[in-house]
Amino acid sequence: MKNKVLFVITIIVVFLLGLLASSIVNRKSEAKYKYVPQVNISENEPRNDVWGENFPLEYQSSLQTLDTTFRSFQGGSAMRDVLEEDPNLVILFAGYGFSKDYNQGRGHAYAIEDLQNSLRTGGPKGKGDGPMPATCWTCKSPDVPRLMNEIGIAEFYSGKWADKGAEIVNNIGCADCHNPKTMKLRITRPALVEAFDAMGKDINKATHNEMRSLVCAQCHVEYYFDKKLPGKEGIPYLKFPWKNGMTVEAMEDYYDNIDFKDWTHKISKAPMLKAQHPGYETFVTGVHADRGVSCADCHMPYKSEGGQKFTDHHIQSPLNNTSNACQVCHREDSKKLIANVYERQSKAKENRLNLEDLLVRAHLEAKKCWDLGATEKEMKPILLDIRHAQWRWDYSAASHGASFHSPVETARVIGGGLVKAQDARLKLARVLAKYGHNKPIDMPDVSSKELAQKYIGLDIEKLKAEKAAFKKNLLPKWLEEAKNREDKMEVNTNASLRK
Amino acid sequence: MKKKIEILPQEPRWRKIALFFIAVIIGLGLFMAKESKVISYLSDDPQACVNCHVMTPVYNSWMHSSHREWAKCNDCHVPHDNVFNKYYFKAKDGLYHATIFTARAEPDVIKMQEASQKVVQDNCIRCHVQQVTQTKYAGFLEDHKENRTKRQCWSCHKQVPHGKIHGLLTIKFNVAPLPTDQEEMVIPAWLADKIKE
Repeated sequence: MKNKVLFVITIIVVFLLGLLASSIVNRKSEAKYKYVPQVNISENEPRNDVWGENFPLEYQSSLQTLDTTFRSFQGGSAMRDVLEEDPNLVILFAGYGFSKDYNQGRGHAYAIEDLQNSLRTGGPKGKGDGPMPATCWTCKSPDVPRLMNEIGIAEFYSGKWADKGAEIVNNIGCADCHNPKTMKLRITRPALVEAFDAMGKDINKATHNEMRSLVCAQCHVEYYFDKKLPGKEGIPYLKFPWKNGMTVEAMEDYYDNIDFKDWTHKISKAPMLKAQHPGYETFVTGVHADRGVSCADCHMPYKSEGGQKFTDHHIQSPLNNTSNACQVCHREDSKKLIANVYERQSKAKENRLNLEDLLVRAHLEAKKCWDLGATEKEMKPILLDIRHAQWRWDYSAASHGASFHSPVETARVIGGGLVKAQDARLKLARVLAKYGHNKPIDMPDVSSKELAQKYIGLDIEKLKAEKAAFKKNLLPKWLEEAKNREDKMEVNTNASLRK
Repeated sequence: MKKKIEILPQEPRWRKIALFFIAVIIGLGLFMAKESKVISYLSDDPQACVNCHVMTPVYNSWMHSSHREWAKCNDCHVPHDNVFNKYYFKAKDGLYHATIFTARAEPDVIKMQEASQKVVQDNCIRCHVQQVTQTKYAGFLEDHKENRTKRQCWSCHKQVPHGKIHGLLTIKFNVAPLPTDQEEMVIPAWLADKIKE
């Protein structure tokens, strides 16, 4: 009898234990399937909407970069014709693409459209045509890592801009910064990795917080095209001049040592440097960077929707979103914060415009010297001063945000530029006097964009006609070719995986 | 040998069956110990608390708080007066959790039991004692002692450290990330290879 009872009790205990075990296993798998991704994103998936299937909140907020309604003191999401606002820039960039057309960019969602529309990229009629190299695509699209993976880095950089027009169609997006498996931040542009190597640093050692700025530093930096890379001669290989450091002097030193120039100035014949957009380099000298704030903290702050906290992928001016971007740390009123930003920007602008005025005069005075018969030897130190002065002007202006990100450094750089420009004009006055012109030169009327472009000999109507022809003939073919290619690309949905 | 037979059932037939079932119980027990990661509950690792996904929201909110740098789950949620009390309380709390969870009776919003509140309050004081005991005020501030001792810290500091949002549905994908980044490549493998070329 005792044994029978033991037997029955054991059966009940085993049965209950079985139930418990099955419950544990069930609840474990329940946790696993709480997050079920809709699609399986492949390694270099360039289509942002495919990523958007799995991450709708982030994707939809990224689409808001289409908004072009916000204007700030010197930026915002609206397109601004910089040459129209300040025709002096036409003179400063004479002989270079930026004198043709310089629109301040809109959001990431317009990266490709704006580049296709810019007069700088010209009106190519087919492969191998046009003024710009393929390298110009590097920052514009998640198609870039895809294509680099397919054909190679140097192969990507070689050829004309028009050669790769049909390949690059998706605007800046997910794959540029994210690992498709873990969604962790990643670096997809070789130039940043190579720049870290050149500085003797390993980018794989970067912390998550540093990565929140470094993904931006893949593009928002000063760069140049190196056509003399051993083994890859002739290919405009994208490089960052960071070997000696990121300050205005360190990069200038770097360029002077390798005897590099972006272009020869059409008026003064000076060997010029174009500061592209040293946003990261100037940001790291500022107080926000010093306190460990990253780009994403202000330009893509956290937001919550339906109780879910996520990173706002509407990358934009923090001034359009002060409550999430600034007031998380600064308890002041929004108006007050914006006024603080504008104060820094307008004070920097005041001196920058002074420097700009000196530079315009220096270029025109240099032209007068050449006209009067000055020699190469006489002009060389002057042109070097002009090169260094305009490099400082550009370094402080080109990233648009520098005067707020780092007002002290920006003031220092502009101050240095003013000295260099005055040095140049002092020497110019001596040369002019030597050739019998001991008075101010006659300044041409360059008070509007049109007058200035006419003065430097640009035929804008011709450029516009070429662009219109390109958009009518070649561009539709690119888009069709791209569509055919993408139609063939598979999307692995979870439903199809289960089959 | 004789002694042993006396303890075990007399009839060999029953003995075999009983032995078999006892072995089944032990086997099932071991299986469950493995599945439920029983050993991990003896540690202080916060990862042990998210073995059970109901804890993911509180784990995530803790992980994004400044307390992450100083206090793990156990630093606040189990007593620290002595080691026996610690494990006694942990076992009591854990078995209660396991019972509720197995019965599928867990609420959408988890709140502390009274015993647990007392433990947490003691643990707040344990670290922050210097910030909450300004005895000199007792002389000239009315009700200072009562204000100080009769309330719980989180009557005011409601969002420390778990924030104000607690529901299971508020945590995206219900994924509990690791507290620190594991070292890994930030460059995709193909790009690293291509740069080496």
